[in-house]
Amino acid sequence: MASIIPNVIEMKAEFVQAIFETLYMTFFSAIVSGVLGLIFGVLLVVTKPGGILADSVSYSVLDKVINLLRSIPFIILLAVISPLTQFLIGTTVGTTAALVPLIFGIFPFYARQVQNALLDVAHGVIEAAQSMGSSPMEIIFRVYLKEGLADILRVSIATVISLIGLTTMAGAIGSGGLGDIAISIGYARFENDITFVAMLIILAMVFIVQFVGDLIVKRVERY
Amino acid sequence: MAVSLNNIIELKDISVTFKNDGNVVKAVKNVNLKIERGDIYGIIGYSGAGKSTLVRVINLLQAPTSGTVSVAEQRLQELKPQELRQARKRVGMIFQHFNLMKSRTVLGNVEYPLLSKKISKKERREKATNLLNLVGLAKYADEYPSRLSGGQKQRVAIARALANDPDVLISDEATSALDPKTTISILQLLKKLNVELGLTIVLITHEMQVIKSICHNVAVMEDGEIIERGRVAKVFTAPQQKLTNDFIETSTNVQAAIKRITAEIDLQLAANQRLVYLNFVGNTAKEGIISGLAQKYQIDINILFANIDQIDGENVGYMISIFSGQPELINGAIKSLISADVKVRILEVGGSKGDEAANGVDYSERN
Repeated sequence: MASIIPNVIEMKAEFVQAIFETLYMTFFSAIVSGVLGLIFGVLLVVTKPGGILADSVSYSVLDKVINLLRSIPFIILLAVISPLTQFLIGTTVGTTAALVPLIFGIFPFYARQVQNALLDVAHGVIEAAQSMGSSPMEIIFRVYLKEGLADILRVSIATVISLIGLTTMAGAIGSGGLGDIAISIGYARFENDITFVAMLIILAMVFIVQFVGDLIVKRVERY
Repeated sequence: MAVSLNNIIELKDISVTFKNDGNVVKAVKNVNLKIERGDIYGIIGYSGAGKSTLVRVINLLQAPTSGTVSVAEQRLQELKPQELRQARKRVGMIFQHFNLMKSRTVLGNVEYPLLSKKISKKERREKATNLLNLVGLAKYADEYPSRLSGGQKQRVAIARALANDPDVLISDEATSALDPKTTISILQLLKKLNVELGLTIVLITHEMQVIKSICHNVAVMEDGEIIERGRVAKVFTAPQQKLTNDFIETSTNVQAAIKRITAEIDLQLAANQRLVYLNFVGNTAKEGIISGLAQKYQIDINILFANIDQIDGENVGYMISIFSGQPELINGAIKSLISADVKVRILEVGGSKGDEAANGVDYSERN
């Protein structure tokens, strides 16, 4: 083992910590951006012209904000957003500080995915609920989110996988994690085994997320 | 304006105008419609006639551009959103594509409207199960809609629409996606609900067969307007509009028969032959008019097509036949038919549509 991946063995403690940092960043930014994305996704669907709470002004503002945020390359967002990070977290460096750009980098993407998933809920089903006297809140929770649940789970899996990718880029602002180790140690010091093992661990994480996610979708989608 | 107690639905001067990209589409134009409690009221028209838009005005799923909507003595447009939702619960609706929730079981779909009621889970389940019994689907309670046939899905949709104990059921082309046999069974179910629950039914369709099977009253829509309305028996036996007549003839296969006989089969008429279309109504359908004619005028009558229908106890007959004999005798026979209240139309052979204005009933003049 030591002869194949000597540097990894030597830096075992750092590797374990990096794994935890990646998991930490992924988990907390997934929770926050998940909530934000769901809220924005639902708002986009209900305020859309012809939606159950149609409001063309709100819709076009939301739509443009989401588009704008999605257009900023993540590596630039990391830097641009630092004053906000400083204000919210008190520092711009480190694992917790990385949560701010990660959330702003991923939630607009997730909001769009949620929006698309909910737009797939047949208009007729919504109309039927309206004809039965359902309120907008009832329609959101009992129809949109219930009918769209399997699709929302599917896009959530894709989003978490993208998010794991983004955490590695956050290494650029000293976030720690596997990306950081792969670039600032493995790549910078020509210790290729470190880069390679970091990649394998990330791949393993992605496969686990996909596998567990698919199991959940299968359980939910019994129809 | 006083709202009549007998009319559960009153639409007054309803217009609906859609504006998109500078295009103004008048989907419904100044329609007045009163529907009595306990009626089965059919609205027939081709797609794009505005029927779906019109029925959506009844529960305000479509707000009219102008006009007033009253349901069960309530002016819907004056209600607050919360009150409107309560009012909508009095009006059930079923759809062409069923619109069931795929993520809920059959029972779950029927329970859905009850979720907002303050009743226990047990009561809710009980009520939904009773409704499934009513539509004959109790044993499918735990299946998902994707496992059901179209007719079964529509039954679930009917049970769901009844969960709020509505006074009115709106059926938006509910049988249009079903095969003829299933259509009949769904229509029988609607009729049963009308009789047993006193449910007022408003149904829209493009098939006269549906109107004929269960409706008491009918309105014919064209281009956003109601062009003809009345008791089904009356409209069927004495249509005033060309479109109404088209629907009737289509439903009795007469249109297809005329087309086939005049254009498609290789029919050669001799100089002393006439191709004649006859429409009998009421008693004229029962008397031996044809055999009497043949004897009295010494002509041969060769029947190519005949169909008889019963609508609200009235017989309506259709016949296409070749009259052979002396021209003056044929004319005499035709005159005697007309005087016996039979509608007569001489058909031309060989692709032309028949000389309606000269020989037959010209519907456009009878508006």
